[in-house]
Amino acid sequence: MAWRIGIDSGGTFTDVCLFDDATGEVAVWKVPSTPDDPSRAIARGTQEGTERVGAKPSEVAYFGHGTTVGTNALIQHRGVKTGLITTEGFRDLIEIGRQKRPDLYDLQVDKAPPLVTRDLRFGVSERLRHDGSVEIPLDEEGVRVAARALKAAGVKAVAIGFLYGFVNPAHEQAAKRIVAEEFPEAFICTSHEVAPEFREYERISTAVVNAYLGPVMQGYIRRLADRLMELGVTTTPHLTQSNGGVIGFDMAARLPVRTVLSGPSTGVVAAQAIGQMTGIENLITFDMGGTSSDVALLRGGEAKFASDAIVHGYPIKAPMLDIHTVGAGGGSLAAIDSGGLLKVGPRSAGADPGPVCYGRGATEPAVTDANVVLQTLNPTHLLGGRMPIRQDLSKQAIGRLADQLGLDVMATAQGIISVVTANMAKAIRVVSVQRGHDPRDYALVAFGGAGPLHAARLARELEMKRIVVPRNPGIGCALGLLLTDLRANFATTRLATLGDGLVGAMTEAYAGLVAQGEHWFAEEKVAPNDRKLRRTADLRYQGQNYELSIDVPEGPISSATIAALADGFAEAHKRLYGFVAEGEAVQLVTYRVEAIGFVPKAEFRPQADAGPESDHAIIGSREVWFPEAGGFVACKIYDRDKLKSGNVIAGPAIIEQMDSTTVLLPGMIATVEPYLNLILETP
Amino acid sequence: MNVTATVTVDPITVEVIGSSFASITEEMGEALVKASYSTNIKERRDCSTALFDIAGDTLCQAEHIPMHLGSFIGIIPHILKRHPVAEMKPGDVFIGNDAYEGGGTHLPDIVLAEPIFHDGTMVAWAVNTAHHSDFADRGHAHIYQEGLRIPPIRLYDGGVLMKDVQELILLNCQVPRERLSDLRAQMAANRLGVERVRALCDKYGRTTVLSAGKALQDYAERKMRAGIASIPDGVYRFADLFDNPEVEQPMEFSVEITVAGEEMKLAFESPPQARAGFNMVYTALLSTVYYAVKTVADPTIPPNAGLARPLTITATEGTVLNCLHPAAVNGRIAPCQRVVDLIHGALAQAVPERVIAACSGAVASATFMGARPGSGELWVYLETIGGGSGARATKDGLDGVHVHMTNTSNLPVEALEVEYPLTLLRYELVDGSGGQGRHRGGMGLRRVYRAEAPCRLNVDNSRLNSRPWGIAGGESGQGGSFAFSDGVGPFVRGDGALEAGQIVEIITPGAGGYGPPSERSAEDKARDVAEGRLLPA
Repeated sequence: MAWRIGIDSGGTFTDVCLFDDATGEVAVWKVPSTPDDPSRAIARGTQEGTERVGAKPSEVAYFGHGTTVGTNALIQHRGVKTGLITTEGFRDLIEIGRQKRPDLYDLQVDKAPPLVTRDLRFGVSERLRHDGSVEIPLDEEGVRVAARALKAAGVKAVAIGFLYGFVNPAHEQAAKRIVAEEFPEAFICTSHEVAPEFREYERISTAVVNAYLGPVMQGYIRRLADRLMELGVTTTPHLTQSNGGVIGFDMAARLPVRTVLSGPSTGVVAAQAIGQMTGIENLITFDMGGTSSDVALLRGGEAKFASDAIVHGYPIKAPMLDIHTVGAGGGSLAAIDSGGLLKVGPRSAGADPGPVCYGRGATEPAVTDANVVLQTLNPTHLLGGRMPIRQDLSKQAIGRLADQLGLDVMATAQGIISVVTANMAKAIRVVSVQRGHDPRDYALVAFGGAGPLHAARLARELEMKRIVVPRNPGIGCALGLLLTDLRANFATTRLATLGDGLVGAMTEAYAGLVAQGEHWFAEEKVAPNDRKLRRTADLRYQGQNYELSIDVPEGPISSATIAALADGFAEAHKRLYGFVAEGEAVQLVTYRVEAIGFVPKAEFRPQADAGPESDHAIIGSREVWFPEAGGFVACKIYDRDKLKSGNVIAGPAIIEQMDSTTVLLPGMIATVEPYLNLILETP
Repeated sequence: MNVTATVTVDPITVEVIGSSFASITEEMGEALVKASYSTNIKERRDCSTALFDIAGDTLCQAEHIPMHLGSFIGIIPHILKRHPVAEMKPGDVFIGNDAYEGGGTHLPDIVLAEPIFHDGTMVAWAVNTAHHSDFADRGHAHIYQEGLRIPPIRLYDGGVLMKDVQELILLNCQVPRERLSDLRAQMAANRLGVERVRALCDKYGRTTVLSAGKALQDYAERKMRAGIASIPDGVYRFADLFDNPEVEQPMEFSVEITVAGEEMKLAFESPPQARAGFNMVYTALLSTVYYAVKTVADPTIPPNAGLARPLTITATEGTVLNCLHPAAVNGRIAPCQRVVDLIHGALAQAVPERVIAACSGAVASATFMGARPGSGELWVYLETIGGGSGARATKDGLDGVHVHMTNTSNLPVEALEVEYPLTLLRYELVDGSGGQGRHRGGMGLRRVYRAEAPCRLNVDNSRLNSRPWGIAGGESGQGGSFAFSDGVGPFVRGDGALEAGQIVEIITPGAGGYGPPSERSAEDKARDVAEGRLLPA
């Protein structure tokens, strides 16, 4: 028996998804997260999850993991005290950025604070010219002095970034060696290792983010690896990157900047798979967890990629999926602001103490408490009975807000839901309307523990007609981990004019990158048949500064390859910008190789149609508050696990399962499709 | 034509269409930047994109450069003055830049405007402007010295390039290859705008789209009125000094702002227009006031023509702030910056918590020009440098940013040195340049260049003799300055030459502080000292 396991560690819950390669069986499990050291909950989830399916951790054949450790450290500014060594005269570069202000009209908006304070930024004498030649040799003693000062100041990480470090890494390498001599215990990284591309601010900023997160991720990964080893997991664990692919722990610890969107990107991969299953290809993903919600748009089944992005105010040069996050989740706290208005989030109850209804001493009501009072959530227990719920405490807490607002408890609870729905609708507008897509043309894929609970109201607010609730929505990201290939990107920037004279240099450049890719395959133990290398070249007209990425045809580089690139570029340029600059030189800027290591993926099998009758899945009934129906309505409760392909349920109804609860509003119809995803529609 | 017929559109559709306009103009801007060749567009993003209705009122301006609105709001009326709508057809593209006959604010901002047709009916305009870094080293006694004046004429006629027109323009430019490529990028941007607006009309119907456009303008007007209404009624006056390398004596500018209910009147006074490059045409004044009032009234007002309706703006004709033909206007953004400070200074008396202290008040710039060794091809490189942004009622000002009317990026050192025979020696915040106060004013920037080949240089800056003022007891920030290495010849009115190896340093002004320095917290003071943001006492 070979079990594949995916674990997604969120702010509130740690989700476990197990897949049996032999039988196609999927099992899911959920344990509360342990934010002070997420590896504890992961180890517990692995142990309990494998036990539950009668397996041993040693039988795990694949271990995939998505984490929010990096992104949380960046959002909450909980990275380590970091120093920067850079070219003399340019230490303020990471603060000046591109000298633009953050908002054109709102003069109260601030720039994200630099991750290295000014006193910890050291300029040292050195200077390279743009061709990589040395104008001023590196002042090695200056580096040494800076390293000692940083050590004395108590920094834990040092970023090194010099002008033209991507052309000639010699000074960065020498500085790294000196810092390591003086300060061996520091996490050290250089700009050419992290993002070997031109534009000094963006490159050095990426190195700084990497250093800032480095020790946090290293410590985390070390603890997790140790715990997994103790449990007896023998397979090499993998971590998701922001580009939706996975990498090994070693690379993740060296390049944490590539994992800042680790958690949410796996959800997008899962949604993509669900889109393929259901044949619904225009999707907006809505992943609502305890502390935040992530949304992304897939058009024709494809998510949008960015080769760089500004993440929480910091430019990061690394391939990543286009995902928007908003601080609204089940744990978001409701409060009354100074102007007397009801606000929800971005503060969150977190996993501990959690919402008031957990009975762990919290007194401020969260979104979950509102659902417990409205009874859209089970008012006595959650997680399939494992977690008792105290509705009386939720009522008291919301009652206190209600008194201040001069409303009754039920209206206040419903108000909390309305406010959080509006917040999430705004997030969806960012990825759809703001980018020219009408959400009414898309289906909403609801996952995360709280997604299906709020999806119906959210879809109504945005006039979206269709909602897809995956078979196991609460572990959507964990499921995505079982569908993800290994993926790493290698690049080298070498400016040259595209022409026959380039055959030799191009052959050499790709040989180097392919060797790096092969080395990585070997490190990751990818079998020869599961390896794929994709070569692309970034081209532009000489004079432009933005490139188009063009596929390099298979086979040895020849003048035919060059011609194919030129044609591909002209065609792409014409498509995007409407013109071809006849006779003008095309410049090759960056050679890229993407290495993909195929992993055997969980394969889902369609179920036979069992007819529309769904009464067999009814497990009870409870009163649920629907304002559109004027108050409490007796509502049938269905067990998701008992629903079969083809079953139909008419709203209002509640569909419960271990990891989530789906609310079907009056007037909506839910249909179970062959892969057991629920499709909610308003006829 | 039935395009003026309007229907009532539901609020969700209005919002979707409004957001689509915004995303279309953003997308146009990205295409312009990515397809262009000149550093001023491709990295510094000194360009803007917009959609206009057929009457020439703004539907949406992308959030690029507030100053460029001044180049947009005049262009459509000037096109319509010369070209009957009945003669317009799909694929027509108008080009223009003139400050007096083309709706522009200075000659380098060349505007391309294309009427958008849907099923044979004209529905809107796709418009963009790019600051062509050219027309350098020519003098600013009057506009005829400042470059080629282009009234709105067809560059494309029904999709066919008017080669003669293009050749005439290119021959008058110093760097024709860049001009040509940037014009092509501007074409690409408008083409996208045309396609996207057509698709929007296909989807929602022409009448709905146009009605939503009107509804959005009404919405902007309502928001502007509500914002003005929240400012106490009264008459607020403020005066400030304007200085510039081109004048010996600082000039006084003043404003009188009358707030009455939902409307605001702004009356400006300034000296007679000068034989210098810093005069402003009326549309430059309008776009400046729109910007400044929006920042105070409500920054979230959508950037369309509706926001102008509650404003009345006057300045005596023939003065620096409302100049007439043939005044030179190339450096008009410098007085524009001072006008924003005037408006904030006046409104500080009414709503001190919503304004900020004086910003750098400058758009410090360096324009280099030379000939490439060997080919003799000319090169022109223009860059503008940020400075301090004013301290706010509850927090420090921003350090080293572009303020108010502009918001261009810097050029990465790693691009600058590849493109031009220049080496950047320093680029850093200037210690002690932010005005002290309970909240500190933003810090200015120091940028030090070394010429690697002989070149001409024009430098511009402001607050050379005056200082960016503070609010409520906050101190003034430091002013701007220049410094040259030994042996550099004299710079007259900002113009001079550099030999290979010579060095020039430009220091941009900081900004004013807010509240008395004695009220600054011990923690903030300690941080300023530790981080070297204050000069050692």
